[in-house]
Amino acid sequence: MLLDDALVTLNRAFGVLRRRNVPIEGLALHPSGTAGVSRLTFVLKADAATADRVAQQFHKMIGVRSVMVLANEDSTTEAKR
Amino acid sequence: MSEMLSGAEILCRALVDAGVEVIFGYPGGAIMPFYHALPDHPQLRHILVRHEQAAAHAADGYARASGRVGVCVATSGPGATNLVTGLAAAHMDNSPVVAITGQVSRPMIGRDAFQETDIIGITLPITKQNYQVQDVTELADVVAEAMAVALEGRPGPVLIDVPKDVQNQKIEWHPPQKPRHPRAGARGQSLTPGASPGSLEDGVRAAARLIKGAERPLIMAGHGVILAEAYAEVQALAEKTGIPVITTLLGISGFPDGHALHLGMPGMHGEVHVNRAIQHADVIIGIGLRFDDRVTGNTASFAPQARIIHIELDRAEIGKNVPVAVGIVGDARDVTRRLVAAVEPRRCERWLEHIRGFVRPRTEAFRGDLSPETILASIYEASHGECTIVTDVGQHQMWVAKLYRYERPNTHITSGGLGAMGFAVPAAMGVHLARPNGTVWAISGDGGFQMNMAEMATMVQEGLPVKMAVFNNGYLGMVRQWQQFFHEKRYSCTPIWSPDYVKLAAAYGIPGYRVKQASELADVVGRANAEAGPALVEFVIEQEANVYPMIPPGGSLSEPIEAEPAAAAGH
Ligand SMILES: Cc1ncc(C[n+]2csc(CCOP(=O)(O)OP(=O)(O)O)c2C)c(N)n1
Repeated sequence: MLLDDALVTLNRAFGVLRRRNVPIEGLALHPSGTAGVSRLTFVLKADAATADRVAQQFHKMIGVRSVMVLANEDSTTEAKR
Repeated sequence: MSEMLSGAEILCRALVDAGVEVIFGYPGGAIMPFYHALPDHPQLRHILVRHEQAAAHAADGYARASGRVGVCVATSGPGATNLVTGLAAAHMDNSPVVAITGQVSRPMIGRDAFQETDIIGITLPITKQNYQVQDVTELADVVAEAMAVALEGRPGPVLIDVPKDVQNQKIEWHPPQKPRHPRAGARGQSLTPGASPGSLEDGVRAAARLIKGAERPLIMAGHGVILAEAYAEVQALAEKTGIPVITTLLGISGFPDGHALHLGMPGMHGEVHVNRAIQHADVIIGIGLRFDDRVTGNTASFAPQARIIHIELDRAEIGKNVPVAVGIVGDARDVTRRLVAAVEPRRCERWLEHIRGFVRPRTEAFRGDLSPETILASIYEASHGECTIVTDVGQHQMWVAKLYRYERPNTHITSGGLGAMGFAVPAAMGVHLARPNGTVWAISGDGGFQMNMAEMATMVQEGLPVKMAVFNNGYLGMVRQWQQFFHEKRYSCTPIWSPDYVKLAAAYGIPGYRVKQASELADVVGRANAEAGPALVEFVIEQEANVYPMIPPGGSLSEPIEAEPAAAAGH
């Protein structure tokens, strides 16, 4: 996801996963290339439905600009959204 | 022309610029610069509460009644933490509240300074957004943005934490710019499972097709109908199609109770015919609701035959709790208006007849004649049906939801999602300030009233003529009911002592009354209602009355408890 470069936004993103008890297998945070915007990638251990649900919760957070589910275990397409 | 202003002055100006007229708050060390600046801004009326929780609930009540942002202010540490319950209530019920908290000065933050708490961390999961202002140059923009964020899309609370040294920082003042990240608001789109998000029109067409083919359709109207002021649209949809309407706890007063197509409230304490209608429906049109577990009971057995059309502003709600056939993301008013245009006129007479067959006589038994019905009817009579009712949490809340006759939009206000006892009294103060020309009744149990009854002092000091009704059954009634049904009638810690409410009111200089018989109702309630200032009426009601019907938690809507369990009866 692309999100505002702010600790509080990062904290909220973790909160979404913690509340739903979705384990994080990996994560990476990088500058996105646009000033003030970071790119955050989570690798989650979750089925497609959970990943989708989590993505929707991320999507509605203030400070999150876009969310993509890159790959689902049981999805055939590379990029779903 | 520029001038040098302190952060505190800028904060006041930014609130004035945002159109704020009322602030509920309580001062303390870390917010003193703000309170120092406040008297220079007489446009901002400050209401001094007796507990910060009340400030947050009052701001929430103000927001729900006015549709504008409610603002509350507290100091750092204990002041800020006291706001938490009120913010959580506003969060669960989508109420636009902005909370401003003082914080220790920046160099002290993170050092466990006196009255430092990480209020940002504490409120992360119960706010839509929160900000700690790091520099005075950001302050005006942050306030403007916070006000916008609280209101836009699905409303909710926002917190602004302002370190004391930022309040004291002086800079050259420039009027606020536009919010930094104005979000586009919810753009309407349809979200059907398995398909890519289509256009709003596709969703509306699909919904209209489902409605056309339905034999047993239902409309379920939630809080979104009130937030979007979609009253006329929902009524038009019902009348064009003859589809009966169910209003959820927070949807009550979104559709007139007396309307021939109105069925009542669903869920845990919903009437039998309402829940049966859900279980028999083949199409449900859910407008602005989240299919909360108190509404659905066990979701596995919820509406087993129904295909659900879900109209909802927040796309994350669609498919979250129940599977949907057609999801339409958008404003309830806009989408419903389009749906009205797209549906063909029809009637549902046979289905209505079918539902009428489910109607049960009410089974609640009262020893005396002072039943919730008679009490609520007397409030309706005294106020000519024109008051706003704010309820607390418990049995009385369910009785009011089911038995009060709501005819006017947005006149029922309650803490639904959080179910926060102590809500009614302070929220009613906020409602009065939003609707100064109307009457507001705060209806509480003897438990919830005692949680925030200190606010009577606020009413007196600030001249807030709230009418308070206390349903005194000597118990934490709703919990006692659960103990009766599910815990072998072991009334552990639910009998609750009350002070003499008439004398208590008198100590505050508030007229207080006690009603023990229905024959006294018209006179006493009439007098309390007519008081120029606040008034309190205690209703001494049956101690062990229950709210029926009841779906046991996690149970199916098809299996209500409809009467006294045999083993537990016999008082
Ligand atoms: C702050 C808070 N604490 C506890 C509860 C749990 N609770 C729900 S209803 C209830 C009883 C309420 O009793 P009372 O205010 O007397 O109202 P009644 O049910 O008798 O009408 C309790 C304790 C709650 N909802 N909120």
